[in-house]
Amino acid sequence: MINRRNFLTTVAIGTASAAALAACGSPAPSQTGSAENPVTINYTWWGNDDRAERTRKAIALFEEKNKDIKVNGNFTDFAGYWQKRATEAAGGGLPDVMQWDLSYMRDYGQRNQLLDLGTVKINTDAFDKSLLPSGQIRGKTYGIPTSTNAFAVYYDPAKLASLGIAEPDGTWTYKEYNDFLTEVGAKGNGALFGGTDYTGVWWMFNIWLRQNNTEAFTEDGKLGFTKDHLKKWWNQTAALRGTPAIVSEERVTQLAPKSPFGSNVSVTEVTWDNFMAAYLGDSGAKELKLVPVPSDDKDNLGLFLKPSMLMVASAKTKYKDAAARFIDFMVNDPEVGQIFKTSRGVPASKTQRDGTTFEGTDKLVVDYEKSIEKYLKDAPEPPIVGFGTLEASFKRISSDLNYGKLTIDGAADAWFKEAEDLIKQNA
Amino acid sequence: MTQSPTLSRRSTSPSAPAPRKSKRSGADARAGYTFLLPWLLGFIALTVGPMISSLYLSFTNYNLFDPPKWIGLDNYTTMFQDERFLQSVGVTVGYVVFGTPLKLAAALAVAMLLNSARKGQGFYRSAFYAPSLIGASVSIAIVWKAMFGDSGPVDQGLSFFGINLGGWVGNPSMTMSMFILLTVWQFGAPMVIFLAGLKQIPADLYEAASMDGAGPVRRSVNITWPMLSPVIFFNLLMETIHAFQIFASAYIISNGEGGPAGSTLFYTLYLYLRGFSDFRMGYASAMAWLLVIVVGIITLIFFKTSKSWVHYSGDSK
Repeated sequence: MINRRNFLTTVAIGTASAAALAACGSPAPSQTGSAENPVTINYTWWGNDDRAERTRKAIALFEEKNKDIKVNGNFTDFAGYWQKRATEAAGGGLPDVMQWDLSYMRDYGQRNQLLDLGTVKINTDAFDKSLLPSGQIRGKTYGIPTSTNAFAVYYDPAKLASLGIAEPDGTWTYKEYNDFLTEVGAKGNGALFGGTDYTGVWWMFNIWLRQNNTEAFTEDGKLGFTKDHLKKWWNQTAALRGTPAIVSEERVTQLAPKSPFGSNVSVTEVTWDNFMAAYLGDSGAKELKLVPVPSDDKDNLGLFLKPSMLMVASAKTKYKDAAARFIDFMVNDPEVGQIFKTSRGVPASKTQRDGTTFEGTDKLVVDYEKSIEKYLKDAPEPPIVGFGTLEASFKRISSDLNYGKLTIDGAADAWFKEAEDLIKQNA
Repeated sequence: MTQSPTLSRRSTSPSAPAPRKSKRSGADARAGYTFLLPWLLGFIALTVGPMISSLYLSFTNYNLFDPPKWIGLDNYTTMFQDERFLQSVGVTVGYVVFGTPLKLAAALAVAMLLNSARKGQGFYRSAFYAPSLIGASVSIAIVWKAMFGDSGPVDQGLSFFGINLGGWVGNPSMTMSMFILLTVWQFGAPMVIFLAGLKQIPADLYEAASMDGAGPVRRSVNITWPMLSPVIFFNLLMETIHAFQIFASAYIISNGEGGPAGSTLFYTLYLYLRGFSDFRMGYASAMAWLLVIVVGIITLIFFKTSKSWVHYSGDSK
């Protein structure tokens, strides 16, 4: 039978240890190889299976050419990627080489987590000089762009043909784009939708601001736009929410981490042009096309070339030389260009770009970037510290908007509150 | 657990002279602590140390990279103006209040069924226990997500009966039911404890009661319930604490975001996001400590109220 004293002690100890577990998470330190020859460096990236396969090939090629270095690769999806990096940074164990995003440049670069690549040998002669600053903070180079990407509207010509709708030519105002989405939704008959709510994408908002000659952030790291800008933006699709013009948020959530476009649920998607390979892979479509984003000012599309991703190294890597050689290889080698084509974006290094043959859909991406050349403006510098968080909350709050949990005013208030709090926190 | 059995053993031996006894018990204590040392060191370095440092961090603004800045109680006060925080409290409390009793009810019901002797009993016990062995795993959360997705087995099964709810995963008003079902399904651990408790109730109590003309209802109210009450109390306590700490399944099912529309933003998930997505480690530490305090208070309340309904053998009640 149950004796009171024993029982209470057991319960008390159980309770105490359960409570103790809640109070502390134990960071998992990652390991770096220590064999003398060959050395092993860890490389991590985000992406889907398609990118994983291409990266595997690139690593194999690198190892073949550099017998003294082994590369240990690892990948996750974009959202989980940054949480993992934070955990590793906390434990002092960031991987030696990492694929990086402009959004997180300042968070890690400014806080001395990344290697100053000026101290190692990486050839940047073949790079467009206007692009390199995107990997620099306060005069130090922390990241080398692998490639460039620009915003575009993707569409699936086969699906449009099946609905009997003419292909767009990409000269459209927001109203015309909205009308297009509405038409697709109406004819799609519940099986096909126009697109994902484009007002939920931070970068599209940023482009719209540029079309209205407003910068998203001021030079001293404050917000460059007002709440009214944001309300006006979220109002763009107010009439479309809840109609078949826009994929319902329920579906978007269900399909995550794949996009509705990649899952053959919608006919268009506004996003970066280097998603071509991923979309083709996800959807199984034969051909996808891309045209410029809508703008109410025909001469100002607000577009820019952004480094689609950068290569960085950990400040604490034991193998600076090996890391530098791997980065140099990934950004400059023409054979790497042949492997990735445009799946990372259009190669930033001229050596790599010229050494790559672009055919079919890859050629569409390269041609697209050429076609918008005259509208391009300077690439943005690394945004403010904590920008990645703001980008994520922008997406989350517009998702709440689509769920009808927030009004447009409430959504704008919520985002501004988080943004101001974050800027104050990091000041 | 650790009632120093050596002491009581020594004191029963009358032949040992008094001074020597204390010397030897001192040596025993030393030996005891030496054997405890590996565990003790681990406990101090891996549990107590981090807890103390997290207590300190909870009063600071700490972003992982820069040295922590002391800001007093700011983290604790701003929490209550943070709508996401309040949302996470709401979600978690809802889960605990509905999930825990349902899980315990299921566990008790199945334990009572399995308590009667019949063929294949061992098999049934293992079968019912299995979900709780694999339930906390990553794969189950993934399977669960697929099952409750659009056109998943659950959606199709319900459609067959004319109930068209669509996928649960993307519907903010259905996600909580999904998580409660997931926890109820993992009733194995409390079930085994209930079963052990039921086995301990002496059969002669039931026999005597039957002799006196007590029916099945009377027997369960007057015998089963009081005799089982310590076990019910234990399960209630452990499962409540456990429910407050739900994390892995929520993280996986919502892609680590707490969506849709914040409906799966459990307390620990928000804590994690605050710490590892937003680099607000001070804030996250404060949340952790608030959870420890609240769980502590709830445990205390359980213990206080338990006096009125938990019956221990040997008590006069």
